[in-house]
Amino acid sequence: MKRLLLVFVALFFLLSGCAAREDQMAGHSAEMEGMTEGHGHGDVKVTKHFDESLTKLTDNNLYSLELVIPDEHLKMGVNTVEIIVHHSTGGDVAQADVTVTPWMPSMGHGVMEKPVVMERGGGLYSVENVVLSMTGHWQLQVKVAKDDKTDEAVFDFPEIKAMGHEHAMMHAPPPKDLDYATEKMTVNDIFKVSYKSTGGLIRINRIHSWELTIRDADGQPVNNAKVTVVGDMPEHGHGLPTQPEVFNMGVGGFYRIDGMKFQMPGWWVVTINVMADGVHDAVSFNLDVL
Amino acid sequence: MKKRIWRFIGAATAAGLLLSFMNMMNPDSARSMDQHTWTDREKLVLRSLWLGSLDPLPVDPSNKYSDNPRAAALGKKLFFEDKFSGNQKVSCATCHREDYFFTDNLPQSHGMDITPRRSMPLIGVAYNSWFFWDGRTDSLWSQALGPIENKLEHGISRTMSAYIIGKYYRREYEEVFGALPDFMEDTFPQHARPALDDPEALKAWILMTPEQRAEVNRVYVNMGKAIGAFVRTILPEPSPFDIYVEQIVSGKPLKSRMALTDNEARGLRLFIGKAKCTNCHNGPLFTNGDFHNLGVPPKDEKKPDKGRAAAITQVLSSEFNCFGKYSDARSEQCLQLRFIETSEEKYTGAFKTPTLRNVTERPPYMHAGQFATVREVLEFYRSKAQNPELGHDKLTDEELDQLEAFLHALSSPLKSLQTDEK
Repeated sequence: MKRLLLVFVALFFLLSGCAAREDQMAGHSAEMEGMTEGHGHGDVKVTKHFDESLTKLTDNNLYSLELVIPDEHLKMGVNTVEIIVHHSTGGDVAQADVTVTPWMPSMGHGVMEKPVVMERGGGLYSVENVVLSMTGHWQLQVKVAKDDKTDEAVFDFPEIKAMGHEHAMMHAPPPKDLDYATEKMTVNDIFKVSYKSTGGLIRINRIHSWELTIRDADGQPVNNAKVTVVGDMPEHGHGLPTQPEVFNMGVGGFYRIDGMKFQMPGWWVVTINVMADGVHDAVSFNLDVL
Repeated sequence: MKKRIWRFIGAATAAGLLLSFMNMMNPDSARSMDQHTWTDREKLVLRSLWLGSLDPLPVDPSNKYSDNPRAAALGKKLFFEDKFSGNQKVSCATCHREDYFFTDNLPQSHGMDITPRRSMPLIGVAYNSWFFWDGRTDSLWSQALGPIENKLEHGISRTMSAYIIGKYYRREYEEVFGALPDFMEDTFPQHARPALDDPEALKAWILMTPEQRAEVNRVYVNMGKAIGAFVRTILPEPSPFDIYVEQIVSGKPLKSRMALTDNEARGLRLFIGKAKCTNCHNGPLFTNGDFHNLGVPPKDEKKPDKGRAAAITQVLSSEFNCFGKYSDARSEQCLQLRFIETSEEKYTGAFKTPTLRNVTERPPYMHAGQFATVREVLEFYRSKAQNPELGHDKLTDEELDQLEAFLHALSSPLKSLQTDEK
């Protein structure tokens, strides 16, 4: 609901030119004159578009930023936020290059997933795919670059918590009646793929090889495919500890994957991507590694 | 209830009849018997953790001396040799104490000075793919060389090491590795090494001829290979847990007293089940050998230890890695290095899962000794119950007690094949 409202507000800004008239947005984005939480530049006033937004002055005073969290709180998992960039002298900043980086200061690390920033117009930027991979103290580093001028601010979130629902989504337990077949059609029925571990039973913590056979829907071997492999543990949200390599054997639709390794017991999903003659398709195999 | 009665009666011998009758009278005791009943799937997991499932020592293709008993005997002497240090007081055994399961009791080890991390336990270390907490080397022999030139640890150089070998270990060295050149003081500098943290030693190193450098490196590497051959022999013996698994798997659990108490068995059930400890602590050495960021508080907030992330380029660029010219392996044998995961983001702040063999007997814990007791470690994991990567579920105080009890059952004496030849 709030997201819709944001889009509406953005459209309004686009049409009306800017932020000076937000006082007409009765009730929803009442004018707020507030001190920012910037570093010692307390006398700069920011006109807030949203009651519940967080505001920060960038380090060199160039911009003031408003951060809106549609779901009220950031949580462990995937988040979306909205950022409104104002000039510190007033007026909104359009067509800026905004980058957002989640960071865990106590651990000195971020996340692999990159937030995706989309400009909505009128100084409003929506930021999707803000992934906070664990609970604890997080920061969002927001960098704004425009016309050779770059400045940044850090929003601090001392305690990010897990939400039950998100937890379940990111870390799904194996469904009942999992299909452990080692021969399957790809999603769009273009290729038939089968695999077998060359050393027999797949054992945990061993680097080993797989033999793949790829055929087309008529059962003819596909010898010219480009094949990539991705391993994933849906319950834990992480992948293989190695980077496997695929070798095309050149005959019989045979391919060899070297460097497979599973370092945790349980449900693994190994996805084989096949690209041949300009056609791309993929198949996922379930494994129960003990 | 009736079913249970029949099961008991069916299973009982004449003597057992009385026992099962008492079980029915005493619900506590009846439940205790259930503690030792495992499903087929659980038995498979127990078997996978059993010491009997441990493979023979893996061949180290990069060290052709790794199973040479003479090399191991020399390596043992070098391991305990104080001369390989700036103050003549530090040996490998300073921080890897034989009387403390080859680690020490300090949060951060003390060699020449205080190191940033804790000493690693060496039990079954030869089964690892990567060495040190961050895996910055890919073989035991190259691992052994790192501390020698580290200012905080042994604080000497490879040229000094070659001198010491030549002076005190010439005969044993030559028996294994062949002729040893003379390292004369007027031709070889005493402190020369390719070090970025010691300009004097670096200058001395580059002023040597390429042939001299190669000669010194050769001796230095052989020294590491001898130490590696010894350290390989440090292995665990069966613990009460292993005896218990034999009792369970043999299918005759009632013939003698169970090797685990009821409480320990409850802990074991949590360990492989609800508490999900086997996510990382799996296999007969209770480690998957991979690197994980647990969110353990850093020792220095301002300078967090990047762990594995900082080690990836180190191991790839090391002159002493499996691909290097001092390795005895063919490059296709260097599987770990070939398929190394190079994502620094994935491994920031990540450290190697240590073995849990003898874990309760060698506090403190974590890579910088952040926790003084096993209980603190368990409490920490409980506090992280919401973290999906750790996901230990909600555990009660009683369940922590049981897990702790179980961990005690992983203790055993050490088996060092070389111990008698000291």
